[in-house]
Amino acid sequence: MSRQRSGRWGTAHQPRRMVVPALLAFWLVIPLTPLLLWAGASRWSGPARLPQDFGFHGWQEAQDAGVIAASIRSALLGAAVALIATPLGVLAGRALGWRLLRRPALPSIVLLGPLVLAPFAVAMGFDVVVLRLGIPGEVAVVLVLSVFALPYTTVTMRAAYLGLDPALEEQARVLGASSRQARRRVTLPAATTGLVTATGLAFLVGWSDYAVTLLIGGGQIVTAPMLIGSSAAGSGNDALTSTLAISASLPPLVALAVFTYAASRRRTAAHS
Amino acid sequence: MILIVVVTGTALGAVAVTSLGLLPLVGQPRLSVAGFTSLSSDLRAATKESLLTAACATLLAAAIGLAVATLALHAGRSGRVLIGASVVVVTVPHLVGATAAGLLLSDVGLAQRWLGIPAAAWPELVGGSWPWATVFELAWKESVFVALVVIASVGRRYADLREVAAVLGAAPRAQWRRVLLPQAAPALASSSLIVFVYSLGTYEVARLLGRADPEPLPVMAYRLFTDIDVTARPQAAATAVVATGLALVVSTITLALLRRLGADR
Repeated sequence: MSRQRSGRWGTAHQPRRMVVPALLAFWLVIPLTPLLLWAGASRWSGPARLPQDFGFHGWQEAQDAGVIAASIRSALLGAAVALIATPLGVLAGRALGWRLLRRPALPSIVLLGPLVLAPFAVAMGFDVVVLRLGIPGEVAVVLVLSVFALPYTTVTMRAAYLGLDPALEEQARVLGASSRQARRRVTLPAATTGLVTATGLAFLVGWSDYAVTLLIGGGQIVTAPMLIGSSAAGSGNDALTSTLAISASLPPLVALAVFTYAASRRRTAAHS
Repeated sequence: MILIVVVTGTALGAVAVTSLGLLPLVGQPRLSVAGFTSLSSDLRAATKESLLTAACATLLAAAIGLAVATLALHAGRSGRVLIGASVVVVTVPHLVGATAAGLLLSDVGLAQRWLGIPAAAWPELVGGSWPWATVFELAWKESVFVALVVIASVGRRYADLREVAAVLGAAPRAQWRRVLLPQAAPALASSSLIVFVYSLGTYEVARLLGRADPEPLPVMAYRLFTDIDVTARPQAAATAVVATGLALVVSTITLALLRRLGADR
Protein backbone atom coordinates (compact mmCIF):
# COMPACT_ATOMS: atom_id res chain seq x y z
CA MET A 1 0.00 0.00 0.00
CA SER A 2 2.65 2.42 1.07
CA ARG A 3 4.77 1.52 -1.95
CA GLN A 4 1.90 2.24 -4.21
CA ARG A 5 1.37 5.59 -2.55
CA SER A 6 5.01 6.53 -2.57
CA GLY A 7 5.08 5.98 -6.32
CA ARG A 8 2.49 8.68 -6.79
CA TRP A 9 4.94 11.42 -7.53
CA GLY A 10 7.72 9.09 -8.56
CA THR A 11 8.45 7.43 -11.83
CA ALA A 12 6.03 4.52 -11.54
CA HIS A 13 3.84 4.14 -14.60
CA GLN A 14 0.54 4.14 -12.88
CA PRO A 15 -2.60 5.20 -14.66
CA ARG A 16 -3.64 6.82 -11.39
CA ARG A 17 -0.80 9.26 -11.76
CA MET A 18 -2.50 10.69 -14.78
CA VAL A 19 -6.04 10.72 -13.44
CA VAL A 20 -5.71 13.63 -11.01
CA PRO A 21 -3.79 15.90 -13.43
CA ALA A 22 -6.29 15.07 -16.17
CA LEU A 23 -9.22 15.83 -13.89
CA LEU A 24 -7.69 19.12 -12.79
CA ALA A 25 -6.90 20.10 -16.38
CA PHE A 26 -10.51 19.24 -17.28
CA TRP A 27 -11.76 21.36 -14.36
CA LEU A 28 -9.72 24.33 -15.56
CA VAL A 29 -10.59 24.08 -19.25
CA ILE A 30 -14.16 22.83 -19.49
CA PRO A 31 -15.97 26.03 -18.42
CA LEU A 32 -14.33 27.97 -21.22
CA THR A 33 -15.28 25.46 -23.90
CA PRO A 34 -18.86 26.64 -24.49
CA LEU A 35 -17.63 30.20 -25.05
CA LEU A 36 -15.23 29.09 -27.77
CA LEU A 37 -17.85 26.94 -29.49
CA TRP A 38 -20.61 29.53 -29.38
CA ALA A 39 -18.31 32.31 -30.55
CA GLY A 40 -17.61 30.30 -33.68
CA ALA A 41 -21.19 29.23 -34.30
CA SER A 42 -23.59 30.99 -36.59
CA ARG A 43 -26.36 28.44 -36.03
CA TRP A 44 -26.56 25.95 -33.20
CA SER A 45 -29.94 24.70 -32.16
CA GLY A 46 -30.24 21.93 -29.60
CA PRO A 47 -29.92 19.07 -29.05
CA ALA A 48 -27.10 18.96 -31.62
CA ARG A 49 -23.74 18.37 -29.96
CA LEU A 50 -21.92 20.77 -32.26
CA PRO A 51 -23.02 23.88 -34.17
CA GLN A 52 -24.84 23.25 -37.44
CA ASP A 53 -23.09 26.20 -39.08
CA PHE A 54 -19.80 27.74 -38.16
CA GLY A 55 -19.17 31.42 -38.74
CA PHE A 56 -18.29 34.69 -37.14
CA HIS A 57 -21.62 36.51 -37.00
CA GLY A 58 -21.07 37.08 -33.30
CA TRP A 59 -17.94 39.09 -33.96
CA GLN A 60 -19.71 41.42 -36.37
CA GLU A 61 -22.52 41.90 -33.89
CA ALA A 62 -20.02 42.56 -31.11
CA GLN A 63 -18.39 45.24 -33.20
CA ASP A 64 -21.75 46.81 -33.88
CA ALA A 65 -22.43 46.75 -30.14
CA GLY A 66 -19.33 48.90 -29.62
CA VAL A 67 -16.99 46.30 -28.15
CA ILE A 68 -13.84 48.16 -29.21
CA ALA A 69 -14.69 51.46 -27.52
CA ALA A 70 -15.89 49.58 -24.45
CA SER A 71 -12.67 47.56 -24.30
CA ILE A 72 -10.57 50.73 -24.52
CA ARG A 73 -12.58 52.19 -21.64
CA SER A 74 -12.00 49.00 -19.64
CA ALA A 75 -8.28 49.04 -20.40
CA LEU A 76 -8.01 52.67 -19.25
CA LEU A 77 -9.88 51.80 -16.09
CA GLY A 78 -7.58 48.81 -15.45
CA ALA A 79 -4.46 50.88 -16.13
CA ALA A 80 -5.59 53.69 -13.84
CA VAL A 81 -6.30 51.24 -11.04
CA ALA A 82 -2.94 49.47 -11.54
CA LEU A 83 -1.10 52.81 -11.59
CA ILE A 84 -2.53 53.74 -8.22
CA ALA A 85 -2.66 50.37 -6.48
CA THR A 86 0.64 48.77 -7.54
CA PRO A 87 3.17 51.32 -6.17
CA LEU A 88 1.16 51.61 -2.98
CA GLY A 89 1.04 47.82 -2.75
CA VAL A 90 4.83 47.58 -3.13
CA LEU A 91 5.39 50.04 -0.30
CA ALA A 92 2.85 48.34 1.92
CA GLY A 93 3.98 44.81 1.04
CA ARG A 94 7.61 45.64 1.79
CA ALA A 95 6.77 47.21 5.14
CA LEU A 96 4.54 44.29 6.15
CA GLY A 97 6.58 41.46 4.64
CA TRP A 98 9.80 42.62 6.24
CA ARG A 99 8.17 43.71 9.48
CA LEU A 100 9.47 47.24 9.17
CA LEU A 101 6.63 48.69 11.23
CA ARG A 102 6.74 48.72 14.97
CA ARG A 103 2.99 48.30 15.21
CA PRO A 104 1.87 46.54 12.03
CA ALA A 105 -1.56 45.53 13.30
CA LEU A 106 -3.52 48.64 12.41
CA PRO A 107 -1.93 49.24 8.98
CA SER A 108 -2.49 45.56 8.15
CA ILE A 109 -6.13 45.75 9.09
CA VAL A 110 -6.69 48.95 7.09
CA LEU A 111 -4.76 47.74 4.04
CA LEU A 112 -6.42 44.36 3.94
CA GLY A 113 -9.75 45.69 5.12
CA PRO A 114 -11.26 46.23 1.67
CA LEU A 115 -11.01 42.47 1.06
CA VAL A 116 -13.61 42.00 3.72
CA LEU A 117 -15.91 44.66 2.35
CA ALA A 118 -18.40 43.93 -0.37
CA PRO A 119 -17.68 46.15 -3.41
CA PHE A 120 -21.37 46.73 -3.94
CA ALA A 121 -21.76 48.04 -0.38
CA VAL A 122 -18.89 50.50 -0.71
CA ALA A 123 -19.99 51.54 -4.19
CA MET A 124 -23.52 52.09 -2.95
CA GLY A 125 -22.40 54.34 -0.12
CA PHE A 126 -19.83 56.17 -2.21
CA ASP A 127 -22.43 56.78 -4.89
CA VAL A 128 -24.54 58.68 -2.39
CA VAL A 129 -21.53 60.86 -1.46
CA VAL A 130 -20.39 61.28 -5.06
CA LEU A 131 -23.79 62.52 -6.13
CA ARG A 132 -23.83 65.17 -3.39
CA LEU A 133 -20.24 66.30 -3.98
CA GLY A 134 -20.47 66.26 -7.76
CA ILE A 135 -17.39 64.06 -8.26
CA PRO A 136 -17.27 62.66 -11.83
CA GLY A 137 -18.40 59.04 -11.99
CA GLU A 138 -15.20 57.89 -13.69
CA VAL A 139 -13.03 59.30 -10.89
CA ALA A 140 -15.25 57.71 -8.27
CA VAL A 141 -15.09 54.31 -10.00
CA VAL A 142 -11.27 54.48 -10.23
CA LEU A 143 -10.99 55.45 -6.56
CA VAL A 144 -13.27 52.70 -5.33
CA LEU A 145 -11.63 50.05 -7.52
CA SER A 146 -8.12 51.17 -6.45
CA VAL A 147 -9.18 50.65 -2.88
CA PHE A 148 -10.31 47.14 -3.77
CA ALA A 149 -7.14 46.40 -5.74
CA LEU A 150 -4.84 47.55 -2.95
CA PRO A 151 -5.27 44.47 -0.74
CA TYR A 152 -4.42 42.23 -3.68
CA THR A 153 -1.26 44.16 -4.51
CA THR A 154 -0.35 44.34 -0.83
CA VAL A 155 -0.90 40.61 -0.21
CA THR A 156 1.05 39.67 -3.31
CA MET A 157 3.96 41.97 -2.54
CA ARG A 158 3.94 40.95 1.11
CA ALA A 159 4.28 37.30 0.03
CA ALA A 160 7.04 38.27 -2.39
CA TYR A 161 8.97 40.18 0.26
CA LEU A 162 8.43 37.37 2.79
CA GLY A 163 10.26 35.10 0.35
CA LEU A 164 13.16 37.53 0.12
CA ASP A 165 15.86 38.01 2.70
CA PRO A 166 16.12 41.63 3.90
CA ALA A 167 19.86 40.97 4.14
CA LEU A 168 19.88 41.18 0.34
CA GLU A 169 19.21 44.90 0.54
CA GLU A 170 21.72 45.34 3.37
CA GLN A 171 24.39 43.61 1.32
CA ALA A 172 23.71 45.94 -1.59
CA ARG A 173 24.05 48.90 0.74
CA VAL A 174 27.27 47.53 2.19
CA LEU A 175 28.51 47.30 -1.39
CA GLY A 176 27.84 51.01 -1.82
CA ALA A 177 24.29 51.26 -3.14
CA SER A 178 22.05 53.95 -1.71
CA SER A 179 18.92 52.62 -0.01
CA ARG A 180 16.86 53.78 -2.99
CA GLN A 181 19.21 52.00 -5.43
CA ALA A 182 19.20 48.88 -3.29
CA ARG A 183 15.42 48.84 -3.32
CA ARG A 184 15.06 49.54 -7.02
CA ARG A 185 17.97 47.55 -8.41
CA VAL A 186 18.21 44.63 -6.02
CA THR A 187 15.06 43.74 -4.13
CA LEU A 188 12.42 44.90 -6.60
CA PRO A 189 13.91 42.91 -9.50
CA ALA A 190 14.19 39.92 -7.17
CA ALA A 191 10.49 40.32 -6.49
CA THR A 192 9.61 40.59 -10.19
CA THR A 193 7.21 37.68 -10.19
CA GLY A 194 5.31 39.23 -7.32
CA LEU A 195 5.37 42.65 -8.96
CA VAL A 196 4.02 41.29 -12.24
CA THR A 197 1.31 39.39 -10.40
CA ALA A 198 0.40 42.48 -8.37
CA THR A 199 0.19 44.73 -11.44
CA GLY A 200 -1.81 42.10 -13.27
CA LEU A 201 -4.25 41.66 -10.41
CA ALA A 202 -4.73 45.42 -10.01
CA PHE A 203 -5.32 45.80 -13.73
CA LEU A 204 -7.82 42.95 -13.63
CA VAL A 205 -9.75 44.55 -10.79
CA GLY A 206 -10.39 47.54 -13.05
CA TRP A 207 -10.69 45.63 -16.29
CA SER A 208 -13.17 43.06 -15.11
CA ASP A 209 -15.26 45.10 -12.72
CA TYR A 210 -18.98 45.00 -13.24
CA ALA A 211 -20.76 45.79 -9.98
CA VAL A 212 -18.95 49.05 -9.05
CA THR A 213 -19.10 50.47 -12.57
CA LEU A 214 -22.77 49.56 -12.80
CA LEU A 215 -23.68 51.05 -9.43
CA ILE A 216 -21.69 54.29 -9.59
CA GLY A 217 -21.75 54.70 -13.36
CA GLY A 218 -25.47 54.00 -13.45
CA GLY A 219 -25.06 52.45 -16.89
CA GLN A 220 -23.40 55.59 -18.30
CA ILE A 221 -19.84 54.21 -18.23
CA VAL A 222 -20.02 51.47 -20.83
CA THR A 223 -17.09 49.12 -20.28
CA ALA A 224 -16.64 45.66 -21.80
CA PRO A 225 -18.23 43.88 -18.81
CA MET A 226 -21.28 46.15 -19.15
CA LEU A 227 -21.84 44.88 -22.68
CA ILE A 228 -21.42 41.27 -21.56
CA GLY A 229 -23.76 41.80 -18.63
CA SER A 230 -26.55 43.22 -20.70
CA SER A 231 -26.11 40.63 -23.42
CA ALA A 232 -25.96 37.68 -21.02
CA ALA A 233 -28.89 38.83 -18.94
CA GLY A 234 -31.34 39.67 -21.64
CA SER A 235 -30.41 39.11 -25.27
CA GLY A 236 -30.58 35.32 -25.55
CA ASN A 237 -27.97 35.76 -28.28
CA ASP A 238 -25.41 33.22 -27.13
CA ALA A 239 -23.04 33.84 -30.04
CA LEU A 240 -22.86 37.56 -29.25
CA THR A 241 -22.52 36.94 -25.50
CA SER A 242 -19.70 34.42 -26.06
CA THR A 243 -17.91 36.71 -28.47
CA LEU A 244 -18.10 39.62 -26.04
CA ALA A 245 -16.91 37.36 -23.23
CA ILE A 246 -13.94 36.14 -25.23
CA SER A 247 -12.98 39.61 -26.35
CA ALA A 248 -13.02 40.70 -22.70
CA SER A 249 -10.79 37.77 -21.72
CA LEU A 250 -8.14 38.00 -24.42
CA PRO A 251 -6.51 41.42 -23.81
CA PRO A 252 -5.51 40.69 -20.17
CA LEU A 253 -4.09 37.38 -21.32
CA VAL A 254 -2.01 39.10 -23.97
CA ALA A 255 -0.87 41.70 -21.46
CA LEU A 256 0.06 38.99 -18.99
CA ALA A 257 1.92 37.02 -21.65
CA VAL A 258 3.93 40.15 -22.50
CA PHE A 259 4.64 40.81 -18.81
CA THR A 260 5.70 37.22 -18.19
CA TYR A 261 7.87 37.16 -21.30
CA ALA A 262 9.56 40.42 -20.33
CA ALA A 263 10.10 39.20 -16.77
CA SER A 264 11.57 35.89 -17.88
CA ARG A 265 13.86 37.67 -20.35
CA ARG A 266 15.04 39.99 -17.64
CA ARG A 267 15.68 37.02 -15.40
CA THR A 268 17.60 35.21 -18.14
CA ALA A 269 19.64 38.35 -18.76
CA ALA A 270 20.36 38.65 -15.04
CA HIS A 271 21.56 35.05 -14.89
CA SER A 272 23.87 35.23 -17.89
CA MET B 1 -3.93 53.97 3.74
CA ILE B 2 -5.45 57.43 3.61
CA LEU B 3 -7.09 56.52 0.29
CA ILE B 4 -8.67 53.43 1.82
CA VAL B 5 -9.81 55.19 4.96
CA VAL B 6 -11.34 58.12 3.06
CA VAL B 7 -13.13 56.07 0.41
CA THR B 8 -14.37 53.19 2.53
CA GLY B 9 -14.97 55.40 5.55
CA THR B 10 -17.22 57.83 3.74
CA ALA B 11 -18.89 55.05 1.76
CA LEU B 12 -19.67 52.85 4.73
CA GLY B 13 -20.64 55.85 6.80
CA ALA B 14 -23.08 56.86 4.09
CA VAL B 15 -24.45 53.33 3.88
CA ALA B 16 -24.96 53.15 7.63
CA VAL B 17 -26.58 56.58 7.78
CA THR B 18 -28.84 55.74 4.81
CA SER B 19 -29.87 52.44 6.36
CA LEU B 20 -31.05 54.33 9.43
CA GLY B 21 -33.17 56.64 7.32
CA LEU B 22 -30.98 59.71 7.94
CA LEU B 23 -30.03 60.27 4.29
CA PRO B 24 -33.19 59.87 2.23
CA LEU B 25 -33.20 60.72 -1.47
CA VAL B 26 -36.33 62.80 -0.89
CA GLY B 27 -38.13 63.94 2.23
CA GLN B 28 -37.07 64.64 5.78
CA PRO B 29 -34.33 62.60 7.44
CA ARG B 30 -35.74 60.58 10.32
CA LEU B 31 -33.95 58.06 12.52
CA SER B 32 -35.56 54.65 12.06
CA VAL B 33 -34.65 51.00 11.84
CA ALA B 34 -37.44 50.36 9.33
CA GLY B 35 -34.79 49.63 6.67
CA PHE B 36 -33.83 46.55 8.66
CA THR B 37 -37.14 45.47 10.13
CA SER B 38 -39.48 45.94 7.16
CA LEU B 39 -37.70 43.20 5.19
CA SER B 40 -36.37 41.09 8.03
CA SER B 41 -37.54 37.73 6.65
CA ASP B 42 -36.12 38.52 3.19
CA LEU B 43 -32.89 39.65 4.82
CA ARG B 44 -32.65 36.41 6.78
CA ALA B 45 -33.27 34.30 3.68
CA ALA B 46 -30.73 36.31 1.67
CA THR B 47 -28.15 35.98 4.43
CA LYS B 48 -28.65 32.22 4.52
CA GLU B 49 -28.36 31.96 0.75
CA SER B 50 -25.19 34.08 0.72
CA LEU B 51 -23.54 32.10 3.53
CA LEU B 52 -24.40 28.77 1.92
CA THR B 53 -23.02 29.80 -1.46
CA ALA B 54 -19.86 31.32 -0.01
CA ALA B 55 -19.13 28.37 2.30
CA CYS B 56 -19.53 25.73 -0.41
CA ALA B 57 -17.55 27.75 -2.96
CA THR B 58 -14.74 28.33 -0.45
CA LEU B 59 -14.42 24.68 0.57
CA LEU B 60 -14.30 23.56 -3.05
CA ALA B 61 -11.91 26.33 -4.09
CA ALA B 62 -9.52 25.60 -1.21
CA ALA B 63 -9.46 21.84 -1.81
CA ILE B 64 -9.09 22.07 -5.57
CA GLY B 65 -6.68 25.00 -5.30
CA LEU B 66 -4.43 23.03 -2.98
CA ALA B 67 -4.56 20.05 -5.35
CA VAL B 68 -3.60 22.27 -8.30
CA ALA B 69 -0.77 23.85 -6.30
CA THR B 70 0.54 20.48 -5.12
CA LEU B 71 0.55 19.09 -8.61
CA ALA B 72 2.08 22.22 -10.08
CA LEU B 73 4.88 22.17 -7.52
CA HIS B 74 5.61 18.46 -7.95
CA ALA B 75 5.22 17.75 -11.62
CA GLY B 76 7.87 19.29 -13.82
CA ARG B 77 6.62 20.32 -17.23
CA SER B 78 2.98 19.40 -16.74
CA GLY B 79 3.17 21.47 -13.56
CA ARG B 80 4.14 24.50 -15.59
CA VAL B 81 1.27 23.81 -17.99
CA LEU B 82 -1.07 23.69 -15.00
CA ILE B 83 0.26 27.00 -13.69
CA GLY B 84 -0.20 28.48 -17.17
CA ALA B 85 -3.79 27.26 -17.31
CA SER B 86 -4.40 28.64 -13.81
CA VAL B 87 -3.08 32.04 -14.83
CA VAL B 88 -5.41 32.00 -17.82
CA VAL B 89 -8.39 31.23 -15.60
CA VAL B 90 -7.44 33.84 -12.99
CA THR B 91 -7.37 36.56 -15.65
CA VAL B 92 -10.84 35.67 -16.88
CA PRO B 93 -13.33 38.12 -15.37
CA HIS B 94 -15.94 36.61 -13.05
CA LEU B 95 -18.64 37.95 -15.33
CA VAL B 96 -17.15 35.95 -18.21
CA GLY B 97 -16.92 32.93 -15.93
CA ALA B 98 -20.57 33.35 -15.03
CA THR B 99 -21.52 33.65 -18.69
CA ALA B 100 -19.53 30.52 -19.49
CA ALA B 101 -20.98 28.60 -16.54
CA GLY B 102 -24.46 29.54 -17.75
CA LEU B 103 -23.72 28.30 -21.25
CA LEU B 104 -22.24 25.11 -19.80
CA LEU B 105 -24.80 24.18 -17.18
CA SER B 106 -28.17 25.57 -18.30
CA ASP B 107 -30.91 23.25 -19.54
CA VAL B 108 -29.88 23.99 -23.14
CA GLY B 109 -26.19 24.27 -22.27
CA LEU B 110 -23.15 22.44 -23.52
CA ALA B 111 -23.19 19.78 -20.79
CA GLN B 112 -26.80 18.92 -21.55
CA ARG B 113 -26.07 18.71 -25.29
CA TRP B 114 -22.92 16.66 -24.92
CA LEU B 115 -24.37 14.25 -22.38
CA GLY B 116 -27.46 13.79 -24.53
CA ILE B 117 -29.88 14.26 -21.64
CA PRO B 118 -33.23 15.74 -22.71
CA ALA B 119 -33.67 19.36 -21.60
CA ALA B 120 -36.76 18.41 -19.60
CA ALA B 121 -34.79 15.88 -17.55
CA TRP B 122 -31.82 18.20 -17.00
CA PRO B 123 -31.42 19.29 -13.35
CA GLU B 124 -31.99 22.96 -12.67
CA LEU B 125 -28.38 23.92 -12.14
CA VAL B 126 -28.85 27.53 -13.25
CA GLY B 127 -31.46 29.49 -11.34
CA GLY B 128 -32.70 26.33 -9.61
CA SER B 129 -33.51 25.60 -6.00
CA TRP B 130 -29.84 25.18 -5.04
CA PRO B 131 -27.12 27.60 -6.26
CA TRP B 132 -25.16 24.92 -8.18
CA ALA B 133 -23.99 27.13 -11.00
CA THR B 134 -23.03 30.02 -8.71
CA VAL B 135 -20.98 27.72 -6.48
CA PHE B 136 -19.43 26.06 -9.52
CA GLU B 137 -18.36 29.37 -11.06
CA LEU B 138 -16.95 30.77 -7.83
CA ALA B 139 -15.13 27.52 -7.04
CA TRP B 140 -13.71 27.35 -10.57
CA LYS B 141 -12.35 30.89 -10.61
CA GLU B 142 -11.25 31.01 -7.00
CA SER B 143 -9.55 27.59 -6.97
CA VAL B 144 -6.89 28.96 -9.28
CA PHE B 145 -6.57 32.07 -7.12
CA VAL B 146 -5.90 29.84 -4.11
CA ALA B 147 -3.48 27.71 -6.14
CA LEU B 148 -1.50 30.71 -7.40
CA VAL B 149 -1.30 32.33 -3.96
CA VAL B 150 -0.05 29.05 -2.47
CA ILE B 151 2.47 28.52 -5.27
CA ALA B 152 3.70 32.10 -5.00
CA SER B 153 4.16 31.86 -1.25
CA VAL B 154 5.91 28.49 -1.02
CA GLY B 155 7.42 28.12 -4.50
CA ARG B 156 11.17 28.31 -4.35
CA ARG B 157 11.54 27.65 -0.65
CA TYR B 158 9.53 24.47 -0.97
CA ALA B 159 11.78 23.06 -3.71
CA ASP B 160 14.80 23.42 -1.40
CA LEU B 161 13.02 22.08 1.69
CA ARG B 162 11.63 19.17 -0.27
CA GLU B 163 15.08 18.25 -1.44
CA VAL B 164 16.32 18.29 2.14
CA ALA B 165 13.33 16.19 3.22
CA ALA B 166 13.97 13.72 0.40
CA VAL B 167 17.65 13.43 1.33
CA LEU B 168 16.60 12.78 4.91
CA GLY B 169 14.44 9.94 3.66
CA ALA B 170 10.93 11.43 3.70
CA ALA B 171 8.50 9.65 1.40
CA PRO B 172 6.62 11.86 -1.09
CA ARG B 173 3.48 11.64 0.98
CA ALA B 174 5.36 12.71 4.10
CA GLN B 175 6.95 15.53 2.11
CA TRP B 176 3.48 16.73 1.23
CA ARG B 177 2.10 16.47 4.74
CA ARG B 178 5.11 17.58 6.73
CA VAL B 179 6.68 20.10 4.38
CA LEU B 180 4.22 21.44 1.84
CA LEU B 181 1.13 21.61 4.03
CA PRO B 182 2.70 23.58 6.91
CA GLN B 183 4.43 25.85 4.41
CA ALA B 184 1.23 26.40 2.47
CA ALA B 185 -1.10 26.68 5.45
CA PRO B 186 -0.90 30.46 6.00
CA ALA B 187 -1.37 31.22 2.30
CA LEU B 188 -4.13 28.63 2.02
CA ALA B 189 -5.97 30.01 5.02
CA SER B 190 -5.70 33.66 4.04
CA SER B 191 -6.65 33.02 0.41
CA SER B 192 -9.62 30.91 1.54
CA LEU B 193 -10.81 33.76 3.73
CA ILE B 194 -10.49 36.11 0.76
CA VAL B 195 -12.51 33.68 -1.36
CA PHE B 196 -15.20 33.44 1.30
CA VAL B 197 -15.72 37.16 1.72
CA TYR B 198 -15.46 37.70 -2.03
CA SER B 199 -18.17 35.10 -2.58
CA LEU B 200 -20.32 36.82 0.04
CA GLY B 201 -20.04 40.17 -1.70
CA THR B 202 -20.10 39.25 -5.37
CA TYR B 203 -23.00 40.54 -7.38
CA GLU B 204 -22.68 39.53 -11.00
CA VAL B 205 -22.23 35.77 -10.59
CA ALA B 206 -25.31 35.32 -8.43
CA ARG B 207 -27.24 37.79 -10.59
CA LEU B 208 -26.65 35.74 -13.75
CA LEU B 209 -26.68 32.22 -12.32
CA GLY B 210 -28.75 32.35 -9.15
CA ARG B 211 -32.45 32.14 -8.59
CA ALA B 212 -34.66 35.12 -7.90
CA ASP B 213 -36.01 33.86 -4.59
CA PRO B 214 -34.29 33.76 -2.22
CA GLU B 215 -31.67 36.01 -3.71
CA PRO B 216 -28.27 36.51 -2.07
CA LEU B 217 -27.52 39.79 -0.26
CA PRO B 218 -25.72 41.67 -3.08
CA VAL B 219 -28.47 40.92 -5.61
CA MET B 220 -31.14 41.96 -3.13
CA ALA B 221 -29.25 45.17 -2.29
CA TYR B 222 -28.84 46.14 -5.92
CA ARG B 223 -32.47 45.42 -6.73
CA LEU B 224 -33.62 47.61 -3.84
CA PHE B 225 -31.05 50.31 -4.62
CA THR B 226 -32.28 50.70 -8.18
CA ASP B 227 -35.95 50.38 -7.23
CA ILE B 228 -38.19 53.09 -8.65
CA ASP B 229 -39.59 53.46 -5.16
CA VAL B 230 -36.92 55.66 -3.56
CA THR B 231 -38.09 54.69 -0.10
CA ALA B 232 -36.43 51.31 -0.77
CA ARG B 233 -33.05 53.04 -0.40
CA PRO B 234 -32.81 52.51 3.38
CA GLN B 235 -33.67 48.85 2.82
CA ALA B 236 -30.92 48.55 0.20
CA ALA B 237 -28.46 50.19 2.56
CA ALA B 238 -29.60 47.91 5.38
CA THR B 239 -28.85 44.89 3.18
CA ALA B 240 -25.39 46.32 2.50
CA VAL B 241 -24.86 46.84 6.23
CA VAL B 242 -25.83 43.21 6.93
CA ALA B 243 -23.47 41.94 4.21
CA THR B 244 -20.63 44.09 5.49
CA GLY B 245 -21.26 43.12 9.11
CA LEU B 246 -21.35 39.44 8.20
CA ALA B 247 -18.04 39.64 6.35
CA LEU B 248 -16.45 41.57 9.21
CA VAL B 249 -17.62 39.07 11.83
CA VAL B 250 -16.48 36.03 9.81
CA SER B 251 -13.10 37.63 9.11
CA THR B 252 -12.53 38.64 12.71
CA ILE B 253 -13.33 35.14 13.97
CA THR B 254 -11.20 33.46 11.29
CA LEU B 255 -8.24 35.75 11.86
CA ALA B 256 -8.45 35.28 15.62
CA LEU B 257 -8.54 31.49 15.14
CA LEU B 258 -5.62 31.64 12.74
CA ARG B 259 -3.61 33.73 15.15
CA ARG B 260 -4.31 31.25 17.94
CA LEU B 261 -3.34 28.32 15.71
CA GLY B 262 -0.19 30.15 14.70
CA ALA B 263 0.64 30.86 18.33
CA ASP B 264 0.10 27.22 19.25
CA ARG B 265 2.52 25.96 16.68
